[in-house]
Amino acid sequence: MNEALNIFTRGFVRENPVTKMLLGLCPVLAVTTTAINGLGMGLATTFVLLGSNVVIALASKAIPNTVRIPSFILVIATFVTIVDLLIQAFSPELNQSLGIFIPLIVVNCMILGRAEAFASRNGLWYSIIDAIGMGLGFTFALLLLSILREVLGSGTIFNIPLVGEDANTILVFALPPGAFAGLGLIIAGLNSLEKKMGDKK
Amino acid sequence: MRPIIILTIVGILSATLLAVVEDLTREPIAVAKEQMKRKAIQQIFPFTFDSLNTVATEQTTFYEAYNQDNALEGIAVETSTEEGYSGLIEILLGVSPDQKILGYKVLFHRETPGLGDKIDKPKFKEQFKGRTLENTNWKVKKDGGDIDELTAATISSEAVANAVVKGLEFIKEQYPKSSAE
Repeated sequence: MNEALNIFTRGFVRENPVTKMLLGLCPVLAVTTTAINGLGMGLATTFVLLGSNVVIALASKAIPNTVRIPSFILVIATFVTIVDLLIQAFSPELNQSLGIFIPLIVVNCMILGRAEAFASRNGLWYSIIDAIGMGLGFTFALLLLSILREVLGSGTIFNIPLVGEDANTILVFALPPGAFAGLGLIIAGLNSLEKKMGDKK
Repeated sequence: MRPIIILTIVGILSATLLAVVEDLTREPIAVAKEQMKRKAIQQIFPFTFDSLNTVATEQTTFYEAYNQDNALEGIAVETSTEEGYSGLIEILLGVSPDQKILGYKVLFHRETPGLGDKIDKPKFKEQFKGRTLENTNWKVKKDGGDIDELTAATISSEAVANAVVKGLEFIKEQYPKSSAE
């Protein structure tokens, strides 16, 4: 059980895909203009990661080394297409705002990275824990960044206005450069927080 | 040989699974799209319509909204312009049967967040209500017209006005009689 907890927290904190490994930054930077987008993207990615980790943990022994990568990509692409279809069917609003970034989860290197580095070498149970830890870590980072950008850039949070319609917001945070700046601030903040907590111990 | 067979099997399994999911979601996706459209059209009309008649023409698609007594209450038309600050702007324009503007909704735009994207804010939209092709000078105030342009987004404002005029002209062509008063 300790090992499971260890794997979970590693994905969430110590090896957080966004703030520590800087993986899958394309969706991180692009879709985090509103908190709902960030949350939707994070959860969609978590679902794909869970699906691909499960299948790959079960099937990796049967897959020869030479076709390992193409097989993994096929599995990932299948889950991404399923998520895409489900979002189109049951959450058309989210589909409208995430648009092209859902199909692009296929090329999120975090997912292939977990398949290659973890799921293909570990059992089903640990692979599930790894997927949940990494997925939620990814979602958490996306949510932090998108809340920061939405509050500062648009003056709203989860589309609920915090200031009047005419108030001047820090526009740059809604634009692409603000994504980079915001991510930098979050990484710096989390790192210094971690350092402080480490010092106390 | 073995790698080829395995990869083929993985491919076949993926394709089968996708075919099943596609089949299961085809209905819900069509329904969801239809509902999104109805919702968008409902937003630009001040009344609740009962039924919708979709008419596709070569230029664009428009929708006739009828009330419970089957009387025409409004017409919605998809119209667009390439003249936006970042190119394409698509709007859904709603007019009454006597071709006065009831409202519009921006369907697609890439205008600057915080400046040009205010074309979708109620404050800017409000001024279009009740306007017709004839009763309005469709230039921005800066150029001596009637349209109150957005601060720092004159181009976006002009683009919306152009798209609206295009929509109004299209409806006039489709319903030549009703504006002849």
